[in-house]
Amino acid sequence: MFEARLSQGAVLKKLIESIRDLVSEGNFDCSENGLSLQAMDSSHVALVAMLLRPDAFDPYRCDRSMPLGISLKSLSSILRCASNDDVITLRAEDPADQLSLVFENPQNDKVSEYVLNLMDIDSEHLGIPETVYDAVVHMSSSEFQRICRDLQQLSDSVSIDVSKEGVRFSAAGEVGSGSIALRQNTNVDSGDEATVIELQQQVNLTFSIKYLSMFAKTTPLCGRVTLCMSSDVPLLVEYKIDEVGYVRYYLAPKIEEE
Amino acid sequence: MGITGLTKAIADHAPAAIRSNEIKNYFGRKVAIDASMSIYQFLIAVRSDGQMLQSEDGETTSHLMGFFYRTIRMVEHGIKPVYVFDGKPPTLKSGELAKRLERREQAEKSMKEAQDAGDRESYDKFSRRTVKVTREHNAEVKRLLQLMGIPYVEAPCEAEAQCAALARAGKVYAAATEDMDTLTFGTPVLLRHLTFSEARKMPINEIHLDRVLAGLNMTMDQFIDLCILLGCDYCDSIRGIGPHRAMTLLREHGSLEAVLASLDKKKYTVPEGWPLEEVRHLFKSPEVQDPETIELKWQAPNEEGIIEFMVKEKGFGESRIRGGIEKLQKNMKTATQGRLDSFFKSTGIVSSTTSKRKANDKPAAKPKRGRGGGKPRR
Repeated sequence: MFEARLSQGAVLKKLIESIRDLVSEGNFDCSENGLSLQAMDSSHVALVAMLLRPDAFDPYRCDRSMPLGISLKSLSSILRCASNDDVITLRAEDPADQLSLVFENPQNDKVSEYVLNLMDIDSEHLGIPETVYDAVVHMSSSEFQRICRDLQQLSDSVSIDVSKEGVRFSAAGEVGSGSIALRQNTNVDSGDEATVIELQQQVNLTFSIKYLSMFAKTTPLCGRVTLCMSSDVPLLVEYKIDEVGYVRYYLAPKIEEE
Repeated sequence: MGITGLTKAIADHAPAAIRSNEIKNYFGRKVAIDASMSIYQFLIAVRSDGQMLQSEDGETTSHLMGFFYRTIRMVEHGIKPVYVFDGKPPTLKSGELAKRLERREQAEKSMKEAQDAGDRESYDKFSRRTVKVTREHNAEVKRLLQLMGIPYVEAPCEAEAQCAALARAGKVYAAATEDMDTLTFGTPVLLRHLTFSEARKMPINEIHLDRVLAGLNMTMDQFIDLCILLGCDYCDSIRGIGPHRAMTLLREHGSLEAVLASLDKKKYTVPEGWPLEEVRHLFKSPEVQDPETIELKWQAPNEEGIIEFMVKEKGFGESRIRGGIEKLQKNMKTATQGRLDSFFKSTGIVSSTTSKRKANDKPAAKPKRGRGGGKPRR
């Protein structure tokens, strides 16, 4: 038996909305560590790993860990029936054929119940090695989204160059070229807008903008985003969900031919 | 060609070994393609009005057309093809080759008859069967590939065996051919339908050898024995033993010797002087060029060279050929997208099952989530 009550239903709504374009289905894993999902996109270029710890819920109950095969498109259409301030309760029997979702409004006078049929899914699970990255950029998530949107006009690839001066995003295509540089800015007053860089070594990597823009759909969940890079390893883009979880995206770099 | 009934046997007994994929899933993959079989395929398939394509002076150009456009299609999807050509056929294949020659002669005769009788349909059918790949075809295709900047390998012997060796050594991801005996030669992954025309909308079948063996519950040695029993290109099979019996017998007795010992000699005749050991040896250690000595390099196409060859010599339309070259150049220039699974290794398959949970099902292994990053601590 799995039961989890999420007082901020909006978190789940935004979460599913942000990953549904990248992956169409996946095995959600419910366990004593919380509700998690790891899934690759169909062309095996990007991976999303998300976790909502038990603290995110009140109460959280999971007797035995089990995977729930879920179509993200279907789940998202059901979640669209919930209002942003609703309390959402998820429930599944063991073994699970269905996931039941209950939405309660804050006034406590309306209850909606939905049932999602689960699917049989075989998904490949990847082991992600612990990595100390050469460059870590903490920045405003809406700024990141804006940069992806702007540079997408020019090219399908963006190169990200991190040095001690700051981070530069540049793209070149048939129309022309463009670049956006953000300087390190540790001014405490700037809050969510600050760009903070932790640098071991300068890096310059090229990525597909299409994927970065898909990751940037997570912006409503968190005002900050962290980009972690090392040469020749996948980029990690992380959005934290308050103190109770995260959404992490991994993206394989584009490789220049030797 | 290949192993009689192996595809069906795998589909029946090890369905998990076959996966259907779209061509776009293979971007960034290097693939070894059996060129000799592709030439043959193109000569048969690339036709207009049932006739092979010809240049003005009557030379066949179907194979060039096929190689040019199908290669471009793969390159456009980010695949890096390397072609492998047949060398001399192994002596054991002489029987099979003689049979093929005989069939071709038979078809030629039937073709003439059909032509005389004015039977268009059977004329087409038989004319396809008379197709023969010549030395000139091979040489022309090699010249084209060189101009296109696509690498090729000349196998000392069978091309399938060389493809398998390349795949086994990790030089390429898979061997692409319709010939099922590439599995018997030990390729870890076999791709079928990769070189088919886009119009046929055939999904690409990916067959994994380890899953085949697991599904059939056999060792590689037993699998080779099974293929011999099913019927390969290198020796006759035993009359009266079909796929089903071959499978049961081999499962029951474990090896081909034990199967032979148990057979009722009155009912089944084992061909005289059956070269069992030689065929096994051929599959296990075929004559191939050491993959480690092969360097695969994809280069920019030689535009003028291709125009000279394809347009001036072979009479293809210039604008279409230039369009093709442009696509090649574009894909050579852009950085290729890496694949995530070449960085992170698979730790297993997570399966969610509804209702019909199997009795012996272990609780699904909890995915171990590597804490891959976040803020590096220091």
